[in-house]
Amino acid sequence: MTEETHPRDSAATKRSRMVSTVLVAGAGLAALQLGALDRTGTSQTVLVYPDAAACAAEAIRTAEACRQAYDTASAAYPSAAPHYGSSGLCEHHHGIGQCLPAPGADWIDSLEFVPRMAGYLIGREESDGVTPEPVYAHRQGHGEGPGHGSFCTGSGGKVSTGTGAHASSGTLKSAAGQPTKFGGFGATGKSVSFGGS
Amino acid sequence: MRRLPCGERPDWREIAREAGFAFHTLDGSPYWDESHAYAFSLREIEETIEAPTGELQALCLDFVADAVEDAAILASLRIPEEAWDAVRQSWHRSNPSLYGRFDFSYDGSGPAKLLEYNADTPTALYETAVFQWHWLEQGLRDGRLPSGADQFNRLHERLIARFGEIASAGLTAFAADTSGPEDLGTILYLQDCAAQAGCETLLLDLALIGLRSDNTFCGPDERAFSTLFKLYPWEWAFQDAFGAAVAASPTRFLEPPWKMVLSNKGMLAHLWAREPGHPNLLPTFFEEDPACSGLRAYARKPLLSREGANVELCTEYGRFAGEEGPYGAEGFVRQALSPLANFDGRHPLLGSWIVGDAPAGLCIRESAKPITGNTALFVPHFIEPD
Repeated sequence: MTEETHPRDSAATKRSRMVSTVLVAGAGLAALQLGALDRTGTSQTVLVYPDAAACAAEAIRTAEACRQAYDTASAAYPSAAPHYGSSGLCEHHHGIGQCLPAPGADWIDSLEFVPRMAGYLIGREESDGVTPEPVYAHRQGHGEGPGHGSFCTGSGGKVSTGTGAHASSGTLKSAAGQPTKFGGFGATGKSVSFGGS
Repeated sequence: MRRLPCGERPDWREIAREAGFAFHTLDGSPYWDESHAYAFSLREIEETIEAPTGELQALCLDFVADAVEDAAILASLRIPEEAWDAVRQSWHRSNPSLYGRFDFSYDGSGPAKLLEYNADTPTALYETAVFQWHWLEQGLRDGRLPSGADQFNRLHERLIARFGEIASAGLTAFAADTSGPEDLGTILYLQDCAAQAGCETLLLDLALIGLRSDNTFCGPDERAFSTLFKLYPWEWAFQDAFGAAVAASPTRFLEPPWKMVLSNKGMLAHLWAREPGHPNLLPTFFEEDPACSGLRAYARKPLLSREGANVELCTEYGRFAGEEGPYGAEGFVRQALSPLANFDGRHPLLGSWIVGDAPAGLCIRESAKPITGNTALFVPHFIEPD
């Protein structure tokens, strides 16, 4: 609606000096862009390399940046790796031959297994702010459809890497331990025909 | 107070369409009706409507302060115990209110009588604040209204100013059942006001609201809402799956949960008990109260109901009017009858708006029946020049 200003001294009136709307008049109800259930924001593009040399070879980062990131991930590995109570359980998640006794584990009393560090992931751009972290082989067909889940992270994130020219490029989907729920408001109102009051 | 024929603008439907006022006609029946208007003196507006509105709001806030500390009061209002924490916390944290609407019976003489307080989910907002305002401005330009006519309607300015006062950093979302054009129009207008106040906003259907694992309410992209305006009654929200998450959520709600204490006809019985004889209050009692027997003619109202549903009007000879509806399970109050005025066979209900805690404007809905229901017409008003 166009802006209007009424002519008299505003202090003497009981009404708004100016009334204009932007969204109501501009869009009209038909043109509303209601939020839609398009939840793509939880995944991000990352780079995955087996080691610092492979990273440097692709020349997306400098060799020095590749090595520093690898050191960060390696240092995190002993504590970040998921620990399993048996090799079988570990291999169920990560595949045959992918597991080894946890570093520093007491061989006699409590043997735990961790997956091998299969590589590490870094952000697509340094400015992405992704902390380098170790990744582990993720058994094909386990928890994901075929062709997905090449790697996983210690927190349960899944990294799907492509198979084309940029095999190092992957998509990280954050682990959703307790995923966001939807549809929890409105049911009671639907059972009672409601218009505001 | 007078009801005057003033002649409708021949092109008002076109004006409404261009303005985005999509619900001037609902289900094929008229809602906006400008063939007539109500005229008030400035004194009537200021002394009979505006001042009592501010005074009643103050009484209501005093009542909430006591109610949140008193389990017996919360129980009397049938507020479920699961909601008490959220109600109390929102009050103790001074979570701000945006708006509300007092509905009065008034015929131009004597004090206006409070029939109810729509404190949680009032509508008729856009048509009051915007379309009624433009009707007045155009009427002044076209000469259909007397020169110098005014209107009690600072609603638009006050809403924008209020959003500026209470804005939180981050996203402010507006949610309703968007399948209803009136509710959708109301939240779209409020979103508009918030955007004009500088807020970052999002409009969405109730069903698209998410609840993250950190207990924050969010949109479809899981981005957190710092504030969530919901045109949806709290008593239903607390019955929904997400209701249990409200108390512990960092998301702030508009209206805040403490408004449950006021958006309840039982509040009218408490107000009368606290302020017996107040000129703007009607004797009101919970139906179980023996004092009901002293009421000869009364309105029987469910604690929770909207648009006149399940309201009955009775005299000592029995029920003479009533509206059907789905409400009443929580119980009833009986309120001394204050019949709506009769102008040419039409019954106006005066809606007096509060923004924050200040009176902000007036709307009138007019009905052919003695109970104002969802077929009432919105009729504009003006203040006659001296």
